[in-house]
Amino acid sequence: MSDELLFFTEVSLAGLGSGALLSITALAFVLIYKATRVINLAVSEILMLGGYLFFAAAAGFGLPAWIAIPLAIIGGGIVGAIVERGVIRPMLGESAISVFMVTVGLGSVLVGLAELTWGTDPRTLPEFMSNTPIFLGDVYLSPKIAIAMAVAAVVVPLFLLLFRFWRGGVALRATATDQAAAYSCGINVPGVFSLAWIIGCATAAGAGILLGAIGGISPAMGVFGLSALVVVIVGGLDSVAGALIGGLVIGLVEALAGTYLGGEFKMVTTFGILIVALMIRPYGLFGTTEIERL
Amino acid sequence: MMLNWTRRKILASAAAMTLALGVPAIAQDNQEIVIGGSIPLTGVFGFAGVGIEAGMQDYIKILNEEGGIDGRKVRLSYEDTGYKVDTSVAVFNKLTSQDEIHLYYGDSTGFAKTINPELDRRGTMIMAGASFASELNDPAKFPAQFLAGPDYTEMVSILLEFIAKEKPGATIMLVNSDTEFGRDPIAKTKERASALGLEVVGEIITPPTAVDVSTEVLKLRRARPDYAIFHGYILAPLPEFMNQAKQLGLETKFMGTFWSMDSSIWADVGEAANGFMGVMPYRYYYDTEAAPMLDKIREMRPQYQSTAYTQGFLTAMLLTEAAKRTLAAGQELNAKNLKASLNTIKDFDTGGLIGVPISIPGNSIPVGRIYQYDAAAKQMKPASDWISVQE
Amino acid sequence: MRIATAKQSYSSDEALLRTNTQWAWMGILALALLAAPFLLDGYWLYLACLVTINVASATGLNILTGFTGLVSLGQAAFMAVGAYTVAVLQRDVGTPFLFNLLAAGALTAIVGVLVGLPSLRVKGLYLAIATIAASFILHFVFVNWQSLTNGPSGISLEPATFFGAPLTSNFHLYWVFVPITALMVLGAANLFRTRIGRAFIAIRDRDISAEVLGIPLLRYKLLSFAISSFYAGIAGGMWAYFFRVVTPESFPFITSIFFLAAIIVGGMGTILGGIVGAVFMTLVPELLRFLVEWASPFVPNAGTLLSPVRTVVFGALIVGFLVFEPQGMAEIIQRIRRFFHLWPFRK
Repeated sequence: MSDELLFFTEVSLAGLGSGALLSITALAFVLIYKATRVINLAVSEILMLGGYLFFAAAAGFGLPAWIAIPLAIIGGGIVGAIVERGVIRPMLGESAISVFMVTVGLGSVLVGLAELTWGTDPRTLPEFMSNTPIFLGDVYLSPKIAIAMAVAAVVVPLFLLLFRFWRGGVALRATATDQAAAYSCGINVPGVFSLAWIIGCATAAGAGILLGAIGGISPAMGVFGLSALVVVIVGGLDSVAGALIGGLVIGLVEALAGTYLGGEFKMVTTFGILIVALMIRPYGLFGTTEIERL
Repeated sequence: MMLNWTRRKILASAAAMTLALGVPAIAQDNQEIVIGGSIPLTGVFGFAGVGIEAGMQDYIKILNEEGGIDGRKVRLSYEDTGYKVDTSVAVFNKLTSQDEIHLYYGDSTGFAKTINPELDRRGTMIMAGASFASELNDPAKFPAQFLAGPDYTEMVSILLEFIAKEKPGATIMLVNSDTEFGRDPIAKTKERASALGLEVVGEIITPPTAVDVSTEVLKLRRARPDYAIFHGYILAPLPEFMNQAKQLGLETKFMGTFWSMDSSIWADVGEAANGFMGVMPYRYYYDTEAAPMLDKIREMRPQYQSTAYTQGFLTAMLLTEAAKRTLAAGQELNAKNLKASLNTIKDFDTGGLIGVPISIPGNSIPVGRIYQYDAAAKQMKPASDWISVQE
Repeated sequence: MRIATAKQSYSSDEALLRTNTQWAWMGILALALLAAPFLLDGYWLYLACLVTINVASATGLNILTGFTGLVSLGQAAFMAVGAYTVAVLQRDVGTPFLFNLLAAGALTAIVGVLVGLPSLRVKGLYLAIATIAASFILHFVFVNWQSLTNGPSGISLEPATFFGAPLTSNFHLYWVFVPITALMVLGAANLFRTRIGRAFIAIRDRDISAEVLGIPLLRYKLLSFAISSFYAGIAGGMWAYFFRVVTPESFPFITSIFFLAAIIVGGMGTILGGIVGAVFMTLVPELLRFLVEWASPFVPNAGTLLSPVRTVVFGALIVGFLVFEPQGMAEIIQRIRRFFHLWPFRK
């Protein structure tokens, strides 16, 4: 392999790797949107919270990683359940934008609470991942990014299978298609809502741990969620496959733009893609087109 | 001018009403000298703000125990800004309407620039702060401000001097965050490097929200520079950079500037941090060389104090020194006199906080020293002598 | 109990201020605004100016989001366009103050129309996200168009001069800002007595029906974007003269959220709501400062609690109003009004 090609391959792989991280976060958006038609911007802050919960369990109580990780993920799920039951359910039937702003407000509350609990200093998570470099032939891959890819490779198909075969997953899909019909078929629609929020927020918390392991944690780390939001808009708000592919594409494009144009072009390329996607396919590459009737 | 005069007169007569409105109007105590402070106790810079506040308070305590300035006690009046410019400005306005303030501590480059016209308009105070922005190091544009250390360009110049001495003709990669803070020294660094016979082989700009730096590390690996100079960060994403570089077997030495140089932030990073170098204008708390002021600090505070603490401590020292010299000359405390007095500081002994006697002919103190992190000892160890880039 | 308010003509029914009580309140407000700069100290005067700027911007956003139903999270970026326009004109051309402000409004209106272009194809949340994207792209332009914007370090401004008098202190600026904002608010209030404003409301209530009624959707949506951005541009211009330095980091994304929050808390789709919301949301963080100061003898490290508490309160206000009082503070005010109108016949 020539040097230039090797470099290109490595950059692309790294891009796909960070794309995998985006995909996992995007999944959290998709799950919640699919069931409840809510774009939950607080996913960003649940992500941050996941990182901090892991930090509290692993560094604060000195628990080993294999206990701390599930604890943080469960913690994220619990927060999701509380939020859904306490704030989102009373908002049922309100306009989408109102609910969106509720989640923005919630995000702010969560950031403030995290700052009150853990302070505002950025922190480093204890090492829990292997640090052996991975070489595929000559091609280097950062171990943490490789782990992120592996997690995405397991989680996304898992969700696809769950939606296809698991009762709860099918119920979720049914609710997404038609709430009233789902109700009359005996599906516990509010239960489905809670379930979606719990799974969605747990996923976000998990992504937060991965993210924190790479870049450290701080109350402001939630901005990452904004990039994931771009992914879901491009991929389609209600498509799991869209989240995966959208994440990989955005990750790849960001890496290539950052390498060949310069780091300052990363964000602007992402948002450029977003605008183009909105103009061409407003409901995303894989999303369901909504038809409006009078 | 007319308007101003009228307002003052009316303001005075309306003082009672102001009180009735619940606005705190603390009685002016002419005996007291108040240092105002917009200090970031929370936010991304919170770790620094807490240290700064402690450092300033400690120096003021020492000063007051020695009788204050000309018999007048000194007090620090400050509020948290969360490192947000608009909040800092609000704090400035609040503090200055509560007390008569001639000395001020500001928290960010943005604040220093925003408040500058107001400082010039008032002409009553001088200000220093947590920003070492090169732009502020211009006595013509920022006549009422100074930096309690070298500006960012000078910091990088000190690093370059060190590199040129240690490895002539070395290759350098610049890594900067895509912020005003990060981009500050880039242009001048390149000039300076080529003047010293060093080669800048590339620059990496990271978005401020960047988490994963794999692609940037690949760029670094391709260029294989002898040194990588990081600026515009506090900690992240430096550890990840260093981790991956180590895995890739890169020989590159990593360097940083003042705000990434506190040893406590590196303590959690562990082994990967070993060998990180950077420029530091002050001595560390645990330095063993003779320093009477450090002894005093260690006596007051038995635990490690951060570099931000030293920065606050020294800033308070210089601010009050300016006031001391102004009063000693029998002059009024205003921006012009205070700044002129500050500029008379020549071969001044900081009690060992800075390893060499300092002079402030302009807006900065362009001296510093290279320290290197020793992960085993969890301390920064001196790697060079004091370097001055004063022209 | 309000009596004898029978209207005898359409114009009296459409008037902005319909009762003597309203006129009296306006009189009191005007007097308070006139007296304020003489009574307030430096800190409160600073806040008064800031509130004035925020009221102008929030009113602009209210036209777009509250009245036309197009949600925008790009208000901060629009203000930045206005601020940069003023800064560049002041630096390179030296045109007078009022001209600069108008130019800022006009240019921002054009940018607003460009950003609004996707609004025909996408609406609701998608549009909000398109405006987020636009704000990040504008930020990129501010950072990288070095020759015009001076890159990350931004532009510092000389003080404005208003007919020969330099506007250096907040006291001076107050006398200019308040009339400008008052005019803008008055303009917005009057807008909704015209065909254009009514068309906006029709679009908000049901865009398809509006089209059936003969309102060209794209043209009116873009018009709404233009007017709203015009307001944002002027507010940004005033901001530039107020803080006298404009950098790409002057208008972070959170500012856009702040303005949206302000009109939600104040009350979307009412002029009063935009004003009350901006005043309230600007002053609450400052009032918290006094609360923390008051609590500091009892709570250790109270100073460091201020910023997180502000963040929590900011979020809680948004959530609280949306859940419990979706019509905002304007509705609370209306309720109080109604109480007095009916008093003493309703308990």
